Amino acid sequence: MTEQTKKLTKRERLANKVKVNLAMSVREIMDQINDQGNRPENMAYFDRIFETFEHGGEGTVQPRKGEKIIGTYCLFVPEELIYATGARPVRLCSGAYESVEIGEDYLPEGACPMVKSEIGFSALPVLSFFHQCEMLVMPASCDWKVKMAEILSEFAPVHMMDMPRVKEEESSRAFWLEEVKRFIKRLEKVTGVRITRRRLKQSIQMIQRAQVEFHRFHRIRKATPPVITGRDALEVMNAYFYDHVEDWTAAVSKLNDELEERIRNQVQVARVGAARIMLTGSPMVFPNWKVPTIIEEMDGVLVADEFCTSNRYLNDMVAVDEGTMSDMVHAIADRYLLPSTCPIFSNSVDRKDRLLQLIDDYQVEGVIYHILKGCHPYDVETKIIEKLMEGKGVPMLKIETDYSPQDVEQLRTRIEAFQETLKGRRG
Amino acid sequence: MNVQRIRLIVQFISFVVLTYGGLFYIDMGNRMPTFSCAFVDDNGGSCFLVGFQHMLARPFSEFWGDAGIRLLKVLGVVSLWAIVLNKAWCGWICPFGFVQDLLTKLRNLISIDMSRFAWMTRTRYKSVKYILLALLILIPLGIGNAMLGMPKLSRDWSAPFCQMCPARVLMPILNGDFSEIYIDFSSGPGMFLTTAAIVLSGLFFTTAFVKRRFLCSYCPMLALLSLFDKIGFTTLRKDGQRCTRCGNCSRACPMEIREIEEEKTMSNLVTQDCILCMRCVDVCPEDEALQIRFLNMPVYTATEKGFLQRQSGSSKEQVESEITKHD
Repeated sequence: MTEQTKKLTKRERLANKVKVNLAMSVREIMDQINDQGNRPENMAYFDRIFETFEHGGEGTVQPRKGEKIIGTYCLFVPEELIYATGARPVRLCSGAYESVEIGEDYLPEGACPMVKSEIGFSALPVLSFFHQCEMLVMPASCDWKVKMAEILSEFAPVHMMDMPRVKEEESSRAFWLEEVKRFIKRLEKVTGVRITRRRLKQSIQMIQRAQVEFHRFHRIRKATPPVITGRDALEVMNAYFYDHVEDWTAAVSKLNDELEERIRNQVQVARVGAARIMLTGSPMVFPNWKVPTIIEEMDGVLVADEFCTSNRYLNDMVAVDEGTMSDMVHAIADRYLLPSTCPIFSNSVDRKDRLLQLIDDYQVEGVIYHILKGCHPYDVETKIIEKLMEGKGVPMLKIETDYSPQDVEQLRTRIEAFQETLKGRRG
Repeated sequence: MNVQRIRLIVQFISFVVLTYGGLFYIDMGNRMPTFSCAFVDDNGGSCFLVGFQHMLARPFSEFWGDAGIRLLKVLGVVSLWAIVLNKAWCGWICPFGFVQDLLTKLRNLISIDMSRFAWMTRTRYKSVKYILLALLILIPLGIGNAMLGMPKLSRDWSAPFCQMCPARVLMPILNGDFSEIYIDFSSGPGMFLTTAAIVLSGLFFTTAFVKRRFLCSYCPMLALLSLFDKIGFTTLRKDGQRCTRCGNCSRACPMEIREIEEEKTMSNLVTQDCILCMRCVDVCPEDEALQIRFLNMPVYTATEKGFLQRQSGSSKEQVESEITKHD
């Protein structure tokens, strides 16, 4: 008995330590964000969400009345289905350095910091919303996630969604469709709500409306000179993890109005002549704002990104064709699998084309390829992307890093040099 | 206005003109490459296949004279029609196709789920339409000539395709004429072909509640028109770099064409089964990824905004206003 109380207090002590450290680094990042100057007023809404990280995640997720929370771990989880049961998806992909160490008790050294951080938050009561989930949904996207499901089942019920890797083939599509159907059954069981045709149609339209605003936001980002910084853009997208889709849509709509006003009034957020950077690679989640902060502090401007936590998250939409139940489910399955540019898939054609298109659309001068140590899918693809950029004539800087602040100065030197080269190329 | 609505209106008009046009003294000739059946008494223009098959049923030597010139005339007119409108004959004009589309609407209304062929099955049966096309030329030629060491075929084989065509059985009904519903027991070939027609007519109704445009996949007219895919005035262009291969196009395609999604390099995607219904452009969310061109002029282009508008539908004006508000 005494043994157990002792253990519990140790766990609590550890949790408190992590909580304090997290609060400190979040405060630091929020200060850096506010240092940007000339920020849109409507960013305050999104700042509030992330400021809650300072207080143990109280109020990060504000469930509506009777809303059950379903934790998701990848962008492959069809959120339309979760909303259709009246539950609320919360994406638990984490960017906090503070909990990485806890995760190392469960995973090997070589695992990527994101999964370590996530497990750390599940293991310790630091951020409350990690512990309010009715169920966790884990797509078997990368190898770390496959085993993570088993580890996490210690803390909450986990639903595993198996992922095909050769998404072009008929068998893969049929398989994924079955996985989506299996997910529907599990969801209905957990929430006790049956997904009807009407409910599903409503939730599809709800997310489509969010995507309308998302696409508007991304058209606005094409403006030169930019009217919003890359960090703010990442923050807006990251807020979608925790916010109810309707609230998020309304907030982004307001922000978009303000930004369009800025275009008309020619308000700028970056120095004219700043290097136009696109950031891509391993996911980037708040508070891992290390790289974008350096880029934008070193006279660069982050005009575009291609992250599963940002641009890729809402880019593709469900296209309802006939509107029957099976048609909608099929459309949802297709939307999550087929256009995905995630490197876990065997064929990188779609990812390559997407990057080229973004470079054209956003007049990107240089690409920074961000790899988290241990994030194999993106690491494997580096050479392919390097070659692609060489062909396109766009310089690329590969940086391999993790969540720790140790390499900040080294990264700063490299990124600064890279951005100077880009400016030198203009001639 | 929604392109599918325009298409429905065009289909309706051409259906009325081609099925009842005779009542208003409309006659667009009997050289049309579409299933406006010649057996429909009040038709306002009819399918060229009846006359064409009869013309072929004569000795080769006769083709060097008048008969040959008449045949060339038919082929000339048909080719011209086919080049100018290519597959729009199937997706926009064919009255038989229109009736299938209406039945699909009925199926959606009573919310019966659609089924799809396995990719293998779909590929395997692609050649059926070409075989039918070859047979509808070879059999009449076999009536007039002893070919391949076989004796001449009997006259019972004349116009073989019309004998087995479900449009011959079904379309006259719309004119109040039920007399084409029969099985011809007078001869072996007749019995075989007319039975096939009855079976296909049955399939026409049953498959309409399972699939979209089921019979079109096997239509020899589609095979014939597909010969003009590369030189037709209407083309379907694709910009491979903009395509995310989301698969919306092939899922919405009534003909279950996969190339439209898979191809990233081919520029003209009017493939053999394409009926130019433009459904793929409707559901394409990427700006300018798909584009219909007539004589190389853009007619209908995929846009993100258009996609959003169509997806939101009329029931939710909210999205539409959200889009247009900030235009």
